[in-house]
Amino acid sequence: MSETSLILEPEREASGFGQQLAGFWRGAGGWLFLAPALIFFFGYQVWPIVRVLWLSFTDYQFLTNKPANWVGFDNYIQAASDPLMWASLGRAAWFTILFLPGTIILPLLMAILIDRVTNPWLATIYRMILLVPAVIPSTLIFVLWKWMYNYQSGPINHLLVDTFGLFTIQNAPQWLGGTKLTLPSIAVMEVWWGLGYHTIFFLAGLAAIPKDLPDAARIDGASEWQVFWHITRPQLAPIMMILVVLRFGTAMAVIDEYLIFGGFNRASPTYTWTIFMYDQAFKSGLWRQGYAAAIGMIGAVAMMCVMVVLIRIFRPRG
Amino acid sequence: MSLEADIADQEIAPEARREPEGRGAIVRHLIINFFNLIILLPLAWVFIMSVKSLPDAMRGDFWPRKFDFTHYAFVFQRIETLPVNLFNSIYVTAATVLITCVCAVLAGYALVHIRPRGVGAVVVIFLVSLYFPVRVVSLISIYETQHFLGLINNTSGLILPYVTLQLVISILIMRSMFQLVPHEIIESARIDGAGHFKTLWEIGLPMVRNGLVVIFIVNFVTAWGEYLLGVTLIDDQAKRTMPVVLAAAQGGQGQWSWPNLAAVYVIVVTPGIIAFGFAQKLFFKGLLEGALKG
Repeated sequence: MSETSLILEPEREASGFGQQLAGFWRGAGGWLFLAPALIFFFGYQVWPIVRVLWLSFTDYQFLTNKPANWVGFDNYIQAASDPLMWASLGRAAWFTILFLPGTIILPLLMAILIDRVTNPWLATIYRMILLVPAVIPSTLIFVLWKWMYNYQSGPINHLLVDTFGLFTIQNAPQWLGGTKLTLPSIAVMEVWWGLGYHTIFFLAGLAAIPKDLPDAARIDGASEWQVFWHITRPQLAPIMMILVVLRFGTAMAVIDEYLIFGGFNRASPTYTWTIFMYDQAFKSGLWRQGYAAAIGMIGAVAMMCVMVVLIRIFRPRG
Repeated sequence: MSLEADIADQEIAPEARREPEGRGAIVRHLIINFFNLIILLPLAWVFIMSVKSLPDAMRGDFWPRKFDFTHYAFVFQRIETLPVNLFNSIYVTAATVLITCVCAVLAGYALVHIRPRGVGAVVVIFLVSLYFPVRVVSLISIYETQHFLGLINNTSGLILPYVTLQLVISILIMRSMFQLVPHEIIESARIDGAGHFKTLWEIGLPMVRNGLVVIFIVNFVTAWGEYLLGVTLIDDQAKRTMPVVLAAAQGGQGQWSWPNLAAVYVIVVTPGIIAFGFAQKLFFKGLLEGALKG
């Protein structure tokens, strides 16, 4: 390395201008390759967020032809004094609490079990079955579970009422009817959906642990729990942190499921801040998009604050 | 030859060293298969529903007394907008996957092997965007943009926002894939006089094939099932995509009887599972090589 650079040095000195020109083209070529991605990224991700931030300080209503007026923090003050804002944030938080532990712990357990399957043929089959829900598109998962949970003709209630006789048709559970059961039911669906994908995540982390480490510990008399706590867990810490933070983000910002299962009943547990925003922006009245933007920003900032705390808690130590 | 044997040895060796399976192994397999069953049962239910006779569907038993395979033909003949909706979904998904993959490969290559000045800032913005609920909050403004461009109620218009749904993830996956390609290989191709484009096409692309499979599947799954933008930006039933139609369909009598609905479901869900079945080997390799690091 150093030898070649010594030889090349004089030449570089000689053609300073040429070097600069080459550097410019090198840069331009790079940006040219990045251009298609950046056009989409800035056009449909960065600009909309900037625009929504600006809208949140205006009285913009989409269905009127009036231009947007700057109103300062009025939207934020109004949202903060609306009990629905806090109730809807609380519902999203409750769903997150129901969903997050299951979607971390179950896949971790599965990964530890599957990692020790020695038959390569079985190991492949298990991985494939696990990943099947991950290749089913989101909406199709929701539609499937909407049927599973169907009050009258869903297979779950069929099992409970006709097969086991635990309930009658009158008092069979209303899974998705906007009851106390609704958010837990959706959480179960989400855990089911993510089980395989997250297991594969953890399996990748387990594969990176040198196998003689736990083996040596076992020979020295360590229990399975000690092996897990002192060897496996620290090794999986980075993956754990990414999963916790990302899944917290998706859980707090769930919207499709609530649109499909819940609709716009303000008393329903599925009426979270995302639905509140959507309702204000596209459904009720003159589409108060300035106000909706403020709701969206409050929700987004609130969850980002918790994310920072989560990153601090789950940050790998040492 | 010997290299392949070496790799095979390395793969088998750690397995062989482990203790032989005993009673614990049986419990382990039971637990795993219990969860496998929970994963597969809802899917089995919907597959069987699609070939049940109508009375069996009403009865609700898992296994039908009489099979009826006519629902598949029925839904295509009797539900008028179904072929159109299906075509919309295929068209929008294909365009989205193609555009996103091209963008991600070009960007991933540039981020690792060209590195223009100031590119670090772009990566930081990419990473921050992953932690912000962009999809939800941007909706208000995306509606406005599409309205401005005259793309409300336009099926093709969906492609533009669809491309960005997994764009950042795809770029980061391609970036970590290209990081596995040694600089020297790219450099030597460049010194031989190949432009970046030729280098990427002939040298880079074959080496990141597994990652390409991953982002192909990720984008396919996302676009094929997208609901939020599809339901917000399109009003007209004939211009809608399959997920929006399926989510709105209420199971019951007539053309949307349960077996018909299930048949439509199977038609929509099968392509993804088959594609994954064929590509699973490359998909797992890609996941392990780069995707999970990103």
